[in-house]
Amino acid sequence: MTAFFDMGGYAAYVWPAYALTLTVVVLNVVWAREALKRSRKEALRRLTMGGSES
Amino acid sequence: MAWTWFHRFASPPHVYRVAGRLTPWLAWPAAALIVAGLIGGLVLAPPDYQQGDGYRILYVHAPSAWMSLMVYTTMAVAAGIGLIWRMKVAHAVAASCAPIGASFTLAALVTGSLWGAPMWGTYWQWDPRLTSELILLFLYLGYMGLRSAFDDVQRADRVSAVLAVVGIVNVPIIHYSVIWWNSLHQAPSVMRLGEPTMPPSMLVPLLMMLLGFTLLFGALLMVRVRGEVLSRERTASWIREALRP
Amino acid sequence: MSESGAMRTALNSAFDGAGAPGNPAVPALSAARLVLARDLKLAFRKRSQLIQPLAFFAIVTTLFPLGVSPELPVLRPMAPGVVWAAALLSSLLALELLFREDAQDGTLEQYAVSGCSLTWLLAAKTAAHWLLTGLPLAVMAPLAGIALGAPGAAMPGIVASVAVGTVALSLIGSIGAALTVSIRRSGALLSLLTLPLDIPVLIFGARATELAIGGQAYRAPLELLGALAVLGLTLAPLAATAAVRINLE
Repeated sequence: MTAFFDMGGYAAYVWPAYALTLTVVVLNVVWAREALKRSRKEALRRLTMGGSES
Repeated sequence: MAWTWFHRFASPPHVYRVAGRLTPWLAWPAAALIVAGLIGGLVLAPPDYQQGDGYRILYVHAPSAWMSLMVYTTMAVAAGIGLIWRMKVAHAVAASCAPIGASFTLAALVTGSLWGAPMWGTYWQWDPRLTSELILLFLYLGYMGLRSAFDDVQRADRVSAVLAVVGIVNVPIIHYSVIWWNSLHQAPSVMRLGEPTMPPSMLVPLLMMLLGFTLLFGALLMVRVRGEVLSRERTASWIREALRP
Repeated sequence: MSESGAMRTALNSAFDGAGAPGNPAVPALSAARLVLARDLKLAFRKRSQLIQPLAFFAIVTTLFPLGVSPELPVLRPMAPGVVWAAALLSSLLALELLFREDAQDGTLEQYAVSGCSLTWLLAAKTAAHWLLTGLPLAVMAPLAGIALGAPGAAMPGIVASVAVGTVALSLIGSIGAALTVSIRRSGALLSLLTLPLDIPVLIFGARATELAIGGQAYRAPLELLGALAVLGLTLAPLAATAAVRINLE
């Protein structure tokens, strides 16, 4: 088990690399969902305020 | 017959609906493939003949680098379509691609640097692949910077579309010139494995990660495009229907 | 003032009564020649502005001996890179003004609706930029090279590579200038857009210069530079035209 975490001595490089990539993946998911949420809110606001503007 | 399909595809309410329905079909397989690829790459694949367990960074570096290029190509093609056929949806796709591509380019750079560090002794080398990735990051930042400089979304779409198309023409030229430059100066590369050919136990997790990340891009794109399409739409009629909870 | 007024009248009459695009009152080449002459003439009125990119080039190349070492054996290996980095930056400096003044006073819009090929007119303006920036840089570059330890025999090679390379730089730069023509204070963005596209020119140009300094044959990278310039010549004006039209909408 410790051999796994040790990664043949390369632990200091392998684990940060995986951690960073997975963080980027998670951040992208969160970011995309936030962007959609914001656009929906914005569109609703335009609807209720402007009615049918051009 | 073909035209009706094309025009239906281009219609924002249709895209909004279909993208929403497609998302789980892309997201869940992506998650499964990535988890399987991680297990395969970290646990099941044997150590490399030259680099030991250090090479396992490949399983996150290669997908990130693949994403950075694939997303840029998608962005440029979508931008070109939007420019030629004046399709708002195509521009929405291009706009959605940029932040995804830029973040994975950054991931590719950092993981590439971490992969090389123990082998090179320094955190950075002007390796041809890393150097090309760095330039690609600048291309993304330029695209995003140009977009944000315009208040009018339509003009931002069209101007940045010209840039994206110019950029995609340049990517192979830049890549070739960097490789040529590097071959003159023989900087050490580490992105090659000791194994003469990759055994299946090494290759399969890699393919799973590559496919998983590609499907992930699809899912992220679906989510973002819906928002981008909404913000480009003015007429209230279909939005009211679509946003009903 | 009257001279530019006379020129303006000549241009106006050339563009007046122009038909629809494709049926211009003036053929593209003559209109382009007029625009080129106008740009050169206007540039020579502001002689102090003309000198600026060249002075910038001289200062930048001076920074390296001061920052690194005055010893020629140390500077000589760096010379190609320094000369080219400085040339890139100097070329960039003049780019912001390439289309901006004409955009602001409405001349660019006149060009666009004149019925003459906007592509040819923008290409003419880019040619003016090269004649005013790139060509003088090609003359100055060997002097900078010598100041950084290059032998005198390298001069023809340096002139050739910088002359051809700056053609590509002006063309690539015209795309960025056209994209950002309607943005206020676009300097940093213009650099961010243009410099990545300039990198192949830098790589081949520096290699040609390096070979010339070493007394070796530099034909291969010079031909690659030429290929980039030709590619730029065919594609850049088209991209610039698209960008300008979008910005004028």
